[in-house]
Amino acid sequence: MTEEPYRWLEAVANRREYVKDQLKGGSPVFAVSLNAGILFFGVGTGQSKIFEIFDRHAMGAIGHPADIEKMRQAAIDVAHMEAFTRAADDVTLKRLVSFALSPQLKNQFEQIFSAPILVEILLAELGRAPSEDLLVRLHFDGSFELKRGGISVITLDPQTERNACDWLSSQVNAATPIQEAIKRCRDAWTILKLGKNFQEIPGPEILEQSWKKESVDREMELGFLDRNTTKPSRFRSLEAGVEK
Amino acid sequence: MSIKVAGDFLGLLAEHKLAPLSAGQGSHLPPVTQATTVFAFHFRDGVLMAGDRRATAGNVIVTDQVEKVLEIDSESLLAIAGVPATAFEMARVLQTSFEYYRRSQLQSLSLKAKVRALARLLRDNIPMAMQGVGIVVPLFAGIDRNSHPAEAKIFFYDPLGAQFQAVGNASSGSGSGTIRSVMAFEERYGSPRPSEMSLPQAVQFALRLLMTASEFDSATGGVNPETDTFATLKILTLEGVTTISNSDQKRFLRQEATTS
Repeated sequence: MTEEPYRWLEAVANRREYVKDQLKGGSPVFAVSLNAGILFFGVGTGQSKIFEIFDRHAMGAIGHPADIEKMRQAAIDVAHMEAFTRAADDVTLKRLVSFALSPQLKNQFEQIFSAPILVEILLAELGRAPSEDLLVRLHFDGSFELKRGGISVITLDPQTERNACDWLSSQVNAATPIQEAIKRCRDAWTILKLGKNFQEIPGPEILEQSWKKESVDREMELGFLDRNTTKPSRFRSLEAGVEK
Repeated sequence: MSIKVAGDFLGLLAEHKLAPLSAGQGSHLPPVTQATTVFAFHFRDGVLMAGDRRATAGNVIVTDQVEKVLEIDSESLLAIAGVPATAFEMARVLQTSFEYYRRSQLQSLSLKAKVRALARLLRDNIPMAMQGVGIVVPLFAGIDRNSHPAEAKIFFYDPLGAQFQAVGNASSGSGSGTIRSVMAFEERYGSPRPSEMSLPQAVQFALRLLMTASEFDSATGGVNPETDTFATLKILTLEGVTTISNSDQKRFLRQEATTS
């Protein structure tokens, strides 16, 4: 089959559909660059969506738990090897994604006789200011987009992702307090789970009720890369803005 | 089939043929930088770990600016005595290993495992120690979250990797013999005893111990407020690690000790 280009392309296209289908229903994840640091927001089962990778790096993901774990471990291995053989300052997100994570995802996706990695990833690197923060959206096929500061979201549809980003950008900026940013992320998450278009935002009461309904048996997962701490490790887990 | 131990950073390094502290070959021994006084003792709020800042090679003072008490993670401290090249490498391996385990396994390493990790590095270093070029005799302090209530504990080692928990205090390095007796005396007859001291009293006591050690051991750097020469002092409590700055050391050394 792989000797025939058309059939190979067809197989890859089918594979793409299969992965998207498998990821359908994944709970969205948000990263927001603030003056105080970078906030990660997700809703999961506890330590299931948002993770510390290295001193200034964190990751959010949706997908199969085993595949999230595989990519998380790969990122941690590469970051720590780099820090040990060179220095912590040499661990950069751009290199981590370009030379380690992206090639691994691409190879796995294009090897049509093995299982693809069912994962969509959002990574962040803390800079000295929000304008220096780096947010990276890494897709299941290894493609990725880099962005300086601002907001990044994981959903499964690029247009929905853009809408969510635009709406959140109209609600939150770098100066927004953490608690307020968490509330707006919660609203965006609820709107996405309701399948609503971001042009028609439900009222606060409906959003509140819907949040309670949609998040039942789940918990808010909040990670924060703190710009103001003097500790080498900047990541903290938060509970609705309060350190766990 | 080989079994991989989850969260084992040394295993990861070995996989990539980057294992640290492997003994080299050779019969020519270079001048070895060493000699020190480091010690740790329990005081009222936790553990104080201290070290002078001098490194020597034979009769040459290499520098008086060495940091011999190192924060390994937010709940553990290492004091190094012996050959700095090996000791700093051990500290770097421990720092990366503990963080690697915490991040990859989503939980912190237990204190017992941390203590054994250092013992393993010392055992791996035996060939270098036997050649006389890499001997390290460290002290380690960490928070034991599995004891009830959680508490700070001090451990000392021999060069072969045997580990021992210190009841009240531990010391290492060429100047340790002098202060070991003083610490034992103070713990038995002192008023207050080191374990009952407040932070200012503990800092003052630690600085005086280093001043005493430096009077009898030329390889131990002294403490002299007149020339702004101070020690490395770190405090380990249940809340984490704090460093006592030079200005605080100066202040504590001069102020009257109170029992409050």
